[in-house]
Amino acid sequence: MPTVTVETGRIREACEHARDELGFDVCVDVVATDYLDWGGEGVSGYIGTASGRDLMHPMTQGLQALPEVKPKRFSVSYHLLALRRGAPRARLQCWVDEGEHVPSVVPVWPTCDWHEREQFDLMGIVFDGHPNLERLLMPEDWEGHPLRKDYPIGGEPVRFSDEQ
Amino acid sequence: MADKQPTRLRDYGLQSERLLWPTKGPSRFEEELGLEEMERALGLTTLEKAVRWAQTKSMWPDTFGLACCAIEMMSIVSARYDIARFGMEAFRSSPRQADLLIVSGRVAHKMAAPLRQIYDQMLEPKWVIAMGVCASSGGMFNNYTILQGVDRIVPVDIYVPFCPPRPEALMEGIIRLHEAHQAGVPPAYERVGVAT
Amino acid sequence: MSATVTPTTTYEGTRIPSRVPTILDVPEELRASEEVLQVNFGPNHPSTHGVLRLIVDLHGEEVVGVSAVVGYLHTGFEKSMESKTYWKCVTFPERIDYVGYQNNELVFVLAVEQLLELEVPTKAKWMRMLLCELNRIHSHLVFLGTSALELGAISMFWYCFRERETILDLSELVTGQRMHTRYFQVGGLAEDIPQGFYPECRKFVEWMPRALDDYKGILDRNEIWLERTQGIGVLSAQDAVALGQSGPNLRASGVDWDLRRDQPYLHYEQVDFRVPVYPNGDVYDRYRVRMDEMAESTNIVRQCLDRLERMEGAPWIADDRKVVLPPREELHTSMESLIHHFKIVTEGFRVPEGEIYVAVESPRGESGCYLVSDGGPKPWRVHFRAPSFVALEATATCLHHALVADLIAVVGSLDAVMGDTDR
Repeated sequence: MPTVTVETGRIREACEHARDELGFDVCVDVVATDYLDWGGEGVSGYIGTASGRDLMHPMTQGLQALPEVKPKRFSVSYHLLALRRGAPRARLQCWVDEGEHVPSVVPVWPTCDWHEREQFDLMGIVFDGHPNLERLLMPEDWEGHPLRKDYPIGGEPVRFSDEQ
Repeated sequence: MADKQPTRLRDYGLQSERLLWPTKGPSRFEEELGLEEMERALGLTTLEKAVRWAQTKSMWPDTFGLACCAIEMMSIVSARYDIARFGMEAFRSSPRQADLLIVSGRVAHKMAAPLRQIYDQMLEPKWVIAMGVCASSGGMFNNYTILQGVDRIVPVDIYVPFCPPRPEALMEGIIRLHEAHQAGVPPAYERVGVAT
Repeated sequence: MSATVTPTTTYEGTRIPSRVPTILDVPEELRASEEVLQVNFGPNHPSTHGVLRLIVDLHGEEVVGVSAVVGYLHTGFEKSMESKTYWKCVTFPERIDYVGYQNNELVFVLAVEQLLELEVPTKAKWMRMLLCELNRIHSHLVFLGTSALELGAISMFWYCFRERETILDLSELVTGQRMHTRYFQVGGLAEDIPQGFYPECRKFVEWMPRALDDYKGILDRNEIWLERTQGIGVLSAQDAVALGQSGPNLRASGVDWDLRRDQPYLHYEQVDFRVPVYPNGDVYDRYRVRMDEMAESTNIVRQCLDRLERMEGAPWIADDRKVVLPPREELHTSMESLIHHFKIVTEGFRVPEGEIYVAVESPRGESGCYLVSDGGPKPWRVHFRAPSFVALEATATCLHHALVADLIAVVGSLDAVMGDTDR
């Protein structure tokens, strides 16, 4: 699936262009990803592929390699689909830092309403121009954005056998 | 009712006119029934046992299906794992008419308040079955959003494990609840107190 | 597309409400009236959709405003999966859409396999197809049973659940577990297909068309059913596409789109099946689409059985020991197998860095998995595109001039499973 990186301020234009000129009628999904601490650990060891080790890929030799550096902390990906034979799909991606706002694409595809609300709720990314940006999945008075990497998973410690 | 060997009435330790006055002749009622038959045909019980028996045989559940366990709960109503044989096929939608709350599924913190509200709206005597591991202890979801066991907010009588419990497992839980209640075990809110 | 793009977010020419696409606002003239009553269709209500909360404004019997509150079943799947290795992760996606559980397993496993570029043996693909189609029948049976139950056709519930028990028996025969089977693993199937499955499945396939005829006999031309479902909750094709609908909801609105045919995965290009499309977009058409899909799925299962019966003894999981657990007999004799087993169980296999989005046609629509891997043994980010989440966005559009009874019919026909919506 081709991934196109778009400047954050112009994402709505890009979406309109994708919908009108390129024929991507449906916005399937809006996902935000938090890349805090990305690349902190080396990606070493054997990467299993069906074809075995490949001399052209250093990672399959057990050497330490670091994943490619990401431009900013959060990426917001819009997955698009065209309802044509062959199902062409595309991903528009824009990058934001903490506190940066993203223009909302609800005028372009009404379905993004709840998707953007969910990403605001769970990741804390604010979408400008969204008609109803409130928490969707967490209770309204919840503090924090659970899917961020610096938010703990929560829960409680499980007591095994004779631990205190 | 009486599930003991037929014994004489005097073995029950009763103080009735018939026993204290051995020379009293039989009454009209006793003559019609037949003297010897009567002692074998009578059953003795206490009012509490009789009431518990009635409660056991028609304990109506409340529709509190949350997640996957709700689908298995629906299948005990279906014809194969027929729960109508226990008098429980009438799932009441209103908690005010229900006796049994089967919490089937994972309870998120957002849902905890409605759950407690529903429990409070039920009238005594009321029982709670925590169906599935998610309701019993949080299950496989040990995270920020799932209540780690529904017994944090409501007192639970029976915990049914598995994910999701087979309909037979849920029936076993229900039958054990019936047996416990019949034997005189008080509902959970009297034993563990109202949860904080 | 008829949605105009202006900063005031109006959708002229569509039935999508203007201010917020997912909220039907009470019209101006009624707002100050004292006759509008706000009612809470709380999270615990008798129609067995799970924990959906609708805040409904009623003017007499007519619904003039609706807004949905979801999140009562938010389970934090995505966060939980970030802390588990890939082999152990498979138990999580099944519980998302708990009625169509095989498709969630499938989409996650396909995403991991595509990132790994792992070849899956043919037998595993055919068996996956068979189980997914059985699961589709299962899901539509639950839909039919519960929706008909809500509209008053109570006997449908028992008929549908009778067939459902047969499907769950088949599932238990193969995997040992009725629901949430954890049978699909990265590389193929967790275990071989046991003896005795094919004849049982054949029996089911022979029986199912007769059961479908029974259901059609009860509902298809039943006057009360027709009155309550025809013309109710109309969703036009343009609105459906604008609202991101997929699956039966989209096909009932006249858009001919099915991922199994248009973006084939597994071996769907090798089986013959028809894709039912109906033009009106009302509740009745959605019911018809699902009924026809059950018949088509039975057909697909029969074709899968024909192929699988010739594949006795074929491998059911990929042979790559760096990713797939070795067979237990080998652990007694081979040191390498022991080491592989140990590494996979303790540390987990590593998936190359990358991001991928894979979609399959689940009974509710397009179910997708967006997976970002950092090259380690645990996923960095997993996101599931839930078709029920998107289906619920269409409630406001479907409910213009609807009565309370229609509200129940519409919410039932959109077939939203709350585990899928809230994840």
